[in-house]
Amino acid sequence: MKIATRNVKIEQRPDKQPIKGLRKLSMPLILLILSVLLCVVILVAVSFGSTRIPMGTIAQILLNGTGIFHFARGWDPTAEIIIWQVRLPVVIGTALVGAALAVAGVLFQGMLRNPLADPYLMGTSSGAALGAAIAFVLPVDTVYGSFFSLTPLLAFFGAMLTVLFVYSIARSDGHTPIVTLLLAGVVINAVLVALQTLVLTLSPHAQFGLQALFSWLSGGVSVTSWPPIFVVGTIILIGIAFSLALTRVLDAFALGEEGAAHLGLNVERRKFVIIVVGSLLTAAAVSISGLIGFVGLVTPHAMRLLLGPRHRLLLPASALGGAIFLTLADLLARIVIAPAVLPVGIFTALVGAPFFLFLLRSGKRDYRW
Amino acid sequence: METRSSNPPKPSFLVVDGVTFGYGREPLLYDVHLRVQAGEMIGLLGPNGSGKTTLLRLLSGVYSPQQGKIFLEGHDLQQWGRRNIARRIAVVPQELHMPFAFTVEQMVSLGRTPFVNFFGALGARDERIVKDALQAATIESLADRIFNQLSGGERQRVMIAMALAQEPRLLLLDEPTSHLDIKYQIETLELVQFLNRERGVTVIAAMHDLNLAARYFPRLLLFQRGIVADAAPAEVLEPGVLRRVYGVDVQVGILRGAEHISVLPPGSEIAEEDLFGERGPRPLVHVMAGGGTGEMMMRALADAHIPFIAGALNIGDSDHTLALRLASEVITEQPYAPISQLIQKQVRASLAAVKLLIICPMPIGPGNLALLQEAVAAGQRGLPVLLLHTTDIAKRDYTGGEGQQLLDALVRMGAKTVTSVGGAMDIVKQL
Repeated sequence: MKIATRNVKIEQRPDKQPIKGLRKLSMPLILLILSVLLCVVILVAVSFGSTRIPMGTIAQILLNGTGIFHFARGWDPTAEIIIWQVRLPVVIGTALVGAALAVAGVLFQGMLRNPLADPYLMGTSSGAALGAAIAFVLPVDTVYGSFFSLTPLLAFFGAMLTVLFVYSIARSDGHTPIVTLLLAGVVINAVLVALQTLVLTLSPHAQFGLQALFSWLSGGVSVTSWPPIFVVGTIILIGIAFSLALTRVLDAFALGEEGAAHLGLNVERRKFVIIVVGSLLTAAAVSISGLIGFVGLVTPHAMRLLLGPRHRLLLPASALGGAIFLTLADLLARIVIAPAVLPVGIFTALVGAPFFLFLLRSGKRDYRW
Repeated sequence: METRSSNPPKPSFLVVDGVTFGYGREPLLYDVHLRVQAGEMIGLLGPNGSGKTTLLRLLSGVYSPQQGKIFLEGHDLQQWGRRNIARRIAVVPQELHMPFAFTVEQMVSLGRTPFVNFFGALGARDERIVKDALQAATIESLADRIFNQLSGGERQRVMIAMALAQEPRLLLLDEPTSHLDIKYQIETLELVQFLNRERGVTVIAAMHDLNLAARYFPRLLLFQRGIVADAAPAEVLEPGVLRRVYGVDVQVGILRGAEHISVLPPGSEIAEEDLFGERGPRPLVHVMAGGGTGEMMMRALADAHIPFIAGALNIGDSDHTLALRLASEVITEQPYAPISQLIQKQVRASLAAVKLLIICPMPIGPGNLALLQEAVAAGQRGLPVLLLHTTDIAKRDYTGGEGQQLLDALVRMGAKTVTSVGGAMDIVKQL
């Protein structure tokens, strides 16, 4: 008997060690794999369109752009313009929007401990939509001297102001209870949707406004130059960097607010920071993409199913995953009935939902809230 | 922090000094005083809604007292700052719902949160402490399991291990055994006792089970919106005290062959009249009070060793907590509730048995008007009544004159009016 038990023990040990070792190694590895995947998806997305440009050519053109490589130009010069001026801004913008929405989703789900939380929960969507509606009915289209048209600007500020308003409504006595926050968000959402309808109904340009607003609401990155991408990209990258510093806080929030307080966190202050960072990411994304649903809700869930709940890995992985997901969805939207472009929101739901359900059903991991 | 802790006279580890607290405007705890030495293991007892959990929240610094102060290692808790408190005090909640599938090891390493830097990376020392905490709670074998899939007892151990990873000097537990079966109840308390004895962790635990409390905690605090008793189990678990605080008759004794006191539930329903039967010296005085107006009177009676009955008093009234401590019987009504028929009957029974009724200058409202009606009825039967009159009746009558009429009726019946507690005591001593 003794020998037998000893044998079992010896057998078990080498069994366990590699798993642990792999898990420790895996965080950089997983992020590396996702990054490579993102690069590939971006290349593919740039390659497809009204004219198909071979991947090798794209890679050469892009590498030439770095100034380090100098491949001989064996391609049509218009291809270079199409890539640099038309496709790349859109694809990069899409990836940034996907990353921003997914990270905002992680932040809100983690803070609210609610599986239904998404980036638009706290009124960002209706605030942005009201801003956009106002922009559509105003007679001026662009603000002189800025490279932004009025729509993204008003959408951005509409979203941020709404969130801050919701937060200040929910705050009383130095506390911002989660339930009050959620309810205030729902109520303000309703009010803003009503205001948006009112604006459109009363406007003399209603016909045109409705059409434009509908296409804006269904989402899709519509940029035609680099400057907006730089501005929005900067906000998003800073927002993600801030979020990475909040991963431990998010882990502690899983214990509930009181549990987090017992671990030494100033819960109210952290909550405010998370709301501001999450809303900034969402507002920045919404300003160039309109309302794209599902990415911010489902990407964090999918990543959690695949990689576990720890935010140190979950958050960067969701950023990359969201970027990959939205870039792919956008690609589908552009090629399915090309040359016409479908709203990307259709594909985030049509592709994302079955994939997520597949994960949910096949996952052996217990996934209960 | 190092400079702070270098003051020479070593004060008590934890001092609660006159703390009063309430969630809204209504106070929940009154004037709580408590001193805890390092290394003590204290059980906090009290009925549901007695404020045990609130006291723990005050001690953990999640709430701050409205009046009074709490000192940890000689310094005001409010000045420690959240992070520094978390490095000294760990809290084990009653139950924990995790929304995500964290593994046990990940959960326990959350306990290092107050120690890690801005980027949140665990150092080698942190890892060692986490490992040690897993070992101390004997849950190493569960390290890779998902927390939500564990049994209640295992979860409790994980939560204790998580608290241990904070390397606390004070461990606060909120009813750590209330969801567990008997085996896990004992295992959990054995673990807590081990931590207290072997690692010198000071423990304060809210407990529901009086028997387990008697077995594991050398010092017990009986709580009912304030401290009613604070002593060793033999003194606190006294049938009279428990009856007053919990409102049920229990038997207390040492079972044959056992080391610890046992508290047994009443064998059968006890008749209403029995509540004021032969238990110790028969109370001669009944005190009606409320809203703190009876404090001086009850203290004076207790100092003179005159047994008295107090009531009816609402739970949460500061007079109620004091009466639980000082009176031989307390007639208790639910918080903020008007005097019910049943309680009114108990008051009537008590008034029939005593030799004197003292009515303190309490506020009179529709809720306690029934008390004065009982007083008038007793006065008509010939019970001497003493009116302590320090506040003008008009100022404390919220019944639109009805209360005043009843008091006038008492005076007409020959009730004596005194203006000071001393004057009242002179009359009481003549009994």
